[in-house]
Amino acid sequence: MLQTKRLNAGYKELHILFDVDATINSKGITAVVGPNGSGKSTFLKAIFGLATVHSGKVEYNGEDITKVPPHNRTKMGIAYLPQVDNVFSNLTVEENLKIAGYTLEKTELKDRIDLALDVFPELQNFMKRKAGTLSGGERQFLAIATALVRKSEFLMLDEPTAQLSPKFAEHVFDKIVELRDKLKLTILLVEQNVQRALEISDNAYLLVSGRVAFDGKANELLEHEKFEKLCMGIQD
Amino acid sequence: MAFEAEVLEGAIIYSNLLVLLSIGLTITYITTAVPNFAQGSFAVFGSYIALTMLRLFGIHPYYSIPIALIFGGLLGVAVYLFILKPLIDREAEIVILMIATLALDLILLGFLGAYSDYLGGITKKAAKKFIFTPYDFNIGNISAIFIVSIIVIAIILASLFLLLYKTKFGVALRASMENPALAEIMGVNVEYTRIFSWFLSGSLATVAGCLLPFRQEIVPLTGSIIIVSIFAASIVGGLASIYGALIGGYIVGISESLVTYQLSTILGSGVLVYSKVVSLIVLVVMLILAPQGLTGVKWRKIKWLKSILS
Repeated sequence: MLQTKRLNAGYKELHILFDVDATINSKGITAVVGPNGSGKSTFLKAIFGLATVHSGKVEYNGEDITKVPPHNRTKMGIAYLPQVDNVFSNLTVEENLKIAGYTLEKTELKDRIDLALDVFPELQNFMKRKAGTLSGGERQFLAIATALVRKSEFLMLDEPTAQLSPKFAEHVFDKIVELRDKLKLTILLVEQNVQRALEISDNAYLLVSGRVAFDGKANELLEHEKFEKLCMGIQD
Repeated sequence: MAFEAEVLEGAIIYSNLLVLLSIGLTITYITTAVPNFAQGSFAVFGSYIALTMLRLFGIHPYYSIPIALIFGGLLGVAVYLFILKPLIDREAEIVILMIATLALDLILLGFLGAYSDYLGGITKKAAKKFIFTPYDFNIGNISAIFIVSIIVIAIILASLFLLLYKTKFGVALRASMENPALAEIMGVNVEYTRIFSWFLSGSLATVAGCLLPFRQEIVPLTGSIIIVSIFAASIVGGLASIYGALIGGYIVGISESLVTYQLSTILGSGVLVYSKVVSLIVLVVMLILAPQGLTGVKWRKIKWLKSILS
């Protein structure tokens, strides 16, 4: 379980998140939705240690990780997949998978790569190709596969379907559900396609101007009578 | 236009050493965004290590290569940790980092000058200006430095290739070069890769410096002169590519040696002093035609080349 307690964060002096209290339950999908500029991506970056935390705490399984460097959060099983530049374009698919398991022993690395390829068998055809030559969707699969290789139990995905065709985006959503149901991963999902993100999620947070405007079950938000207004940050 | 074998030999030796220096410069530029203006003085530091080993312990400069490699690496790491990292941590801009390396170059110049006086004093032999050609020998009709420089560059390039493409740390190093933030996300300690790149850069420079006195006279100021060719080589190849440094090193090294030699046959030996002008001309031409360097050019998109290839 991951918790943020009165989290105030941003970039250097720039304040973006205000007193965000959130609890991300294990083995489920939690969607983070909200209008553009509401601080969704910053929320993920703050959890992973890539944004400046001004005050408040980030706790993972009861341990305060607010000051733990990102590479050590990786070792704790937390993975963060940025929206863009989430694979190494100049490395081959195989090298991307290997670097993802940088902290693992050789035998364990092989097992993890096999597991990632079981989930994303399409990658087997491109092992020797440079990641920069893959299509957007294939790159996104590779990015998620790298998170599986590094034994992540807590996966943060920042707009994984951005710039993908609707067909491929649907494929990515299916894979996210598969990761929860088959591998029992905890997933924190930031997604512009709010409707689809809430449909596959268990819980949801709505951020508006860096503050939590809704916190509850995903279907409650989806069925909320003011759903569209809420998602656009309009309050009565 | 025919060149004597000796001239060609000299050009290849010089180019081999320039490649080592420009690869070092490029690696630290890619990993830490520092244009190291002290890279030439790193090489002269290596030359003085070889001279010290020769004068104090009678060790031939060829055998000093491993010692120079270690000391050069340590110099590189010390420069990064104590001078550049504190500036990078304070988010210093590239101009500040450049000025810091220029200041470092002056400090090294002063140190090497003082050390050469000290070494000359205790050995009673000139150390302010020296050359290793009297210590070289021939293998058949070929000078040993020619063979040694080729062996050294072959070993270093092969080791570098194996390191970068066949080891876990090498892949991490390449990953950190391309996208340090993502490498950090993957669990790579990017700081280690930066420290290693400075070790590598310092080592390559001092190894080149160990062999440079077999080709030219060394004075403490040599580093400030050779830096022109090192930068020209790295920029001509493409400052963001290790392959670029390799290609640029040979283009600049061979052009500088052969063009200067050809001009000297017409204008007299006085022109040899201006050999760096050739490097600068190659650099200027490249900056006008392809500012991103040879490896940055999208060759397949050049129409006339495309028509030739098809």
